[in-house]
Amino acid sequence: MVETGHFALVLAFALSLVQTLVPLYGARTGNQRLMAVGGPVTVTGFALTALSFAALGGAYATSDFSVASVWENSHSLQPLIYKITGTWGNHEGSMLLWVLILTFFGALVAVFGSNLPATLRANVLAVQGAIGATFFLFILATSNPFIRLNPAPIEGRDLNPVLQDLGLAIHPPLLYLGYVGFSICFSFSVAALIEGRIDASWARWVRPWTLVAWMFLTGGIAMGSYWAYYELGWGGFWFWDPVENASFMPWLAGTALLHSAIVMEKRSALKIWTLLLAILTFSLSLLGTFLVRSGVLTSVHAFATDPTRGIFILCILTLFIGGSLALFALRASQLTAGGLFHPISREGALVLNNLFLTTATATVLVGTLYPLAVEALSAGKISVGAPFFNLTFGPLMVPLLVVVPFGPLLAWKRGDLYAVAQRLMAAFAAALLAMLVTGLFVNGASVFAALGVGLAFWLVCGALTDLAVKSGFGNVSPAIMLRRFAGLPRSVFGTTLAHLGLGLTTLGIVGTLCFGTEKILSMHAGESVELSGHTLRFEGLYPAQGPNYSEQRGRFSLIGADGGVSAEITSAKRFFPVRQTTTTESGIETIGFSQLYLSLGDEGTDGSVVVRLWWKPLVTLIWGGGLVMMAGAAMSLLDRRLRVGAPSRRRKRATAMPSAGVP
Amino acid sequence: MLFWVIAAILTLGASLAVLLPLTGGGKGTSTSNDHDLEVYRDQLAELDRDAARGLIQPAEAEEARAEIARRILRLGDVGQANTGQADAPGMRQPSRAARLVATGAVLLVPLLSWGLYSQLGSPDLPSQPLAERLAKNPADSSVDELVARAEAHLAANPSDGRGWDVLAPIYLRLQRFSDAVTAYRNAIRLDGDTAARQAGLGEAIANAAGGIVSADAQSAFEQALKLDPANPKASFYLAMALAQEGRLAESTAAWQKMLDLLPQDSPWRGAVQQALAEAANRSVASGEPAKGPDAAAVDAASSMAPQDRQAMIDTMVAGLDEKLRQNPRDTEGWMRLIRSYVVLGKADQARDALHRGIAVFGADSDEAKKFTAFAASLGLTATE
Amino acid sequence: MTRKQKRLSVIVGGLAFLGAATGLTFYALGQKASYFYMPADLTTASLQPGQRIRLGGLVEKGTVVRGQGATVAFSVTDTHKSVKVTYTGILPDLFREEQGVITEGAFGTDGVFIADSVLAKHDERYMPKEVADGLKAKGVWQESKSE
Repeated sequence: MVETGHFALVLAFALSLVQTLVPLYGARTGNQRLMAVGGPVTVTGFALTALSFAALGGAYATSDFSVASVWENSHSLQPLIYKITGTWGNHEGSMLLWVLILTFFGALVAVFGSNLPATLRANVLAVQGAIGATFFLFILATSNPFIRLNPAPIEGRDLNPVLQDLGLAIHPPLLYLGYVGFSICFSFSVAALIEGRIDASWARWVRPWTLVAWMFLTGGIAMGSYWAYYELGWGGFWFWDPVENASFMPWLAGTALLHSAIVMEKRSALKIWTLLLAILTFSLSLLGTFLVRSGVLTSVHAFATDPTRGIFILCILTLFIGGSLALFALRASQLTAGGLFHPISREGALVLNNLFLTTATATVLVGTLYPLAVEALSAGKISVGAPFFNLTFGPLMVPLLVVVPFGPLLAWKRGDLYAVAQRLMAAFAAALLAMLVTGLFVNGASVFAALGVGLAFWLVCGALTDLAVKSGFGNVSPAIMLRRFAGLPRSVFGTTLAHLGLGLTTLGIVGTLCFGTEKILSMHAGESVELSGHTLRFEGLYPAQGPNYSEQRGRFSLIGADGGVSAEITSAKRFFPVRQTTTTESGIETIGFSQLYLSLGDEGTDGSVVVRLWWKPLVTLIWGGGLVMMAGAAMSLLDRRLRVGAPSRRRKRATAMPSAGVP
Repeated sequence: MLFWVIAAILTLGASLAVLLPLTGGGKGTSTSNDHDLEVYRDQLAELDRDAARGLIQPAEAEEARAEIARRILRLGDVGQANTGQADAPGMRQPSRAARLVATGAVLLVPLLSWGLYSQLGSPDLPSQPLAERLAKNPADSSVDELVARAEAHLAANPSDGRGWDVLAPIYLRLQRFSDAVTAYRNAIRLDGDTAARQAGLGEAIANAAGGIVSADAQSAFEQALKLDPANPKASFYLAMALAQEGRLAESTAAWQKMLDLLPQDSPWRGAVQQALAEAANRSVASGEPAKGPDAAAVDAASSMAPQDRQAMIDTMVAGLDEKLRQNPRDTEGWMRLIRSYVVLGKADQARDALHRGIAVFGADSDEAKKFTAFAASLGLTATE
Repeated sequence: MTRKQKRLSVIVGGLAFLGAATGLTFYALGQKASYFYMPADLTTASLQPGQRIRLGGLVEKGTVVRGQGATVAFSVTDTHKSVKVTYTGILPDLFREEQGVITEGAFGTDGVFIADSVLAKHDERYMPKEVADGLKAKGVWQESKSE
């Protein structure tokens, strides 16, 4: 099976070349048959890549150590689930997953794109094929997962212990679905540039794809953040690590794209900007892949530091980013701009959103790449960490969050800011109340903390206000209101959910940062410690044996108000003999939305052990908000508006031109 | 063979994916303008809905409607200009260039894939899932696989001292030194001290440290000499420790003494002579303290040709077999013999030993039951 | 305001915003970026007292001292010079003697570096040479067996 997978991979590479060249040539010459090749080839290419991935997965699941990648990243004693997730827990396998998702999205366009104009579809598939071809070549040339060992070793070298976790099963696939999902928007943009015209259906397609990609990227980032939070044992949820930034930049740009695509879709305005943004978003995804895969940045995620890979990806990066931007410069003047609008309007609000988000993206980009630039100029090594991002990213985000509730309430083309402000009075009052309550009644609350809580409530209540206003709350009878509510387009719910999620995440961040407490101390068995009103008793260390590790478990009892044990928390130091590595398993007890988090340190000579404890109020809202945002994107995707764009036979027959309302 | 069939089928499928659309009739297609028109019509409908819900003011809605209408009109102009050429030659009369591209594409798929795969692939190498490798007849297994099997057995029965004892020297040969240290320690803990185990432990510790005879290793060797003053391995390594500390004269003396005592056919003679020669060289170069491990000497002592090693193991097992023929009422001995044959992959002989052991004690005896159960735990049954 | 003026004011506002953001970014880079030093670089570097830096190198063998509670002292070396570091907290799992480490913090008045974060270098493919050699030996050995 392994060799079948290898052969399928090579075959998929050959097909991706066909997919690039034939439809492209067909579209240029208007040859229907050549263009028609794109669809079946794309679907077959996906099937072959899936076969290849399945073969690799099979090799991992059955511990086939004749495959070098399996030998290096797996062990026969690993639980089956980690054997399987180990397939993408390493450089080679994760790149194969990357192209698998790429070809999957290509196949989706091929299957569901029958309602696209033929040349647009052919060009999109060609661009998609070109991206695929370069990455297939990259895999075959520098990171082939099917390299064999003969004779086969009898035991593998184990998966990196910090990756032996369920978070790994979910985080990279979600992240890649996001990253690679933007490739479709990119392909659509480049296809439009190749043709020199933006079809109206172009706009219809870009938005759902942006939504899909954005939804998965949101999930991937939230999952990655939670994984780092509980697996690395540092208690932080975001480290401004270059690799985190690498996934955050496409998210910021993608969020901007998501909003500008609305304007383009509904008003046919901002076309050129949206097109550029789509190119930039995928470029940032590629840049993220480069930063992670090349090893130019040291981080938890840097699998391997192989310079040839870095150079190869840098070439891919230059080819696609440089090529698409050059094409943009060449063709942008041919594209026609769309509708007009007043600065104070829904369109204006969305432009403001784009201004803030792209600027924020730029600051993150500068902060991430600046150390590289400084080092390249050999002016010393520097690191840009949280203090920089707090100073730049924070001031950019806060005003954006303040204006978020206004956006959805403003009318298209020309809005009435005063009326909107009036409608938001209730939300504003709620935010003010939350702020006062926090400032006056919560111990240790700073002015910043109170403002932060107020901001979060403002976002949440603002999002709900939008829903209330649109269903006519206060103006109509409850029965009509309910009917209107049910009749609202799903995209309205999508917007509300996404903004609500944003508010929840903000609340979680503010709660954790402003009201969190921590203690580091050395404890003996039987000792108790008190943290923010919670009493913990250390019961002692107990050895335990896992399938491929041994561990020292520190057991802690949470003492309830009545003096009894209300919960037991376990944190452990795990030792993996194959890699001679130790990992820390943090102990977490969720109380409401908050968490009590503890992690074990080194054992002292006198039998004591260093323990680090955190009280993290509302911390789960950070990721819960992410989930709500994902739900919002999913809701928007279900909107019927996104399904049109095809000239349906029935309507075509009916009339040649629409009559109603056209002067 | 199966692989080539699958590869051929895959190639055929991929080529057909290219070929079929090229030969198929051109389907009736709609132009971009039809699509655009549909979208604009939908925008108009949506505008009406938005206006009804008050999302856009009536005046602005009117303006937006005019904008869309203008776009639709523009569409009509462009459409008429375009249709003339769009339907033109491409459809029915493919140009030569198009035919060339099509042929190239169809040929590219099999040529590139088979060419590239012949460079990259290992078509002769079958998949080797671990479970399958461990399940096959022990006689066909490599030593590594036998070791893995023994490891699986020991993971289930970690207090089987003899198992550790058998495995430890094998680890040492496989250069899995830290595993060898663990195995020797377990064997000593469970089955007690012997000179061979202590000397093996010392060797494993020293090799794990890259050949440096550390204090830990030294104490193991000293323990071995206490149990068997003639143990050559312990003497050799203790002399090596002296050499590593720079006490060349003392180490030379120790090796010299070893050489005098060793029997003529001892495999250690060569190693000792080489060590002596190197020590002599070093004292000539002098001044410089001896540093690091004397890798060559260690290799000379520990690396026998695999045939020799196999022969040595066979001899040991044959010796045990002989001993049991003379002194058959040795329960432990029989079990050890059965295990040895199983580990060596000689299932028939293992079965033979099992039958002989049962015959000695009688088929109904407790011992016989114990043997049967033990053999079963090794995956061996009394009959084929 | 005419339409043109309105548009102009929007553009001016946008540009002012971008200008402010750019200014802020570069100000922050100047203030908040911390330089990375190896112990030997420190003699030539002119550090303000209390200036945050990153100090990287190897954990010197035999210098790790666990003090009272959660405070740990160790030396970071680049084999030329070494610097004493104290840190209160939990050391990363990968922290080991003679392994790479990056500490972040500032020098105290007594010349001891007070770190508030310690990162151990994370290397996925750390492969001891012995393992590589051992494997090679294994392969060779098996080849001769199959003869």
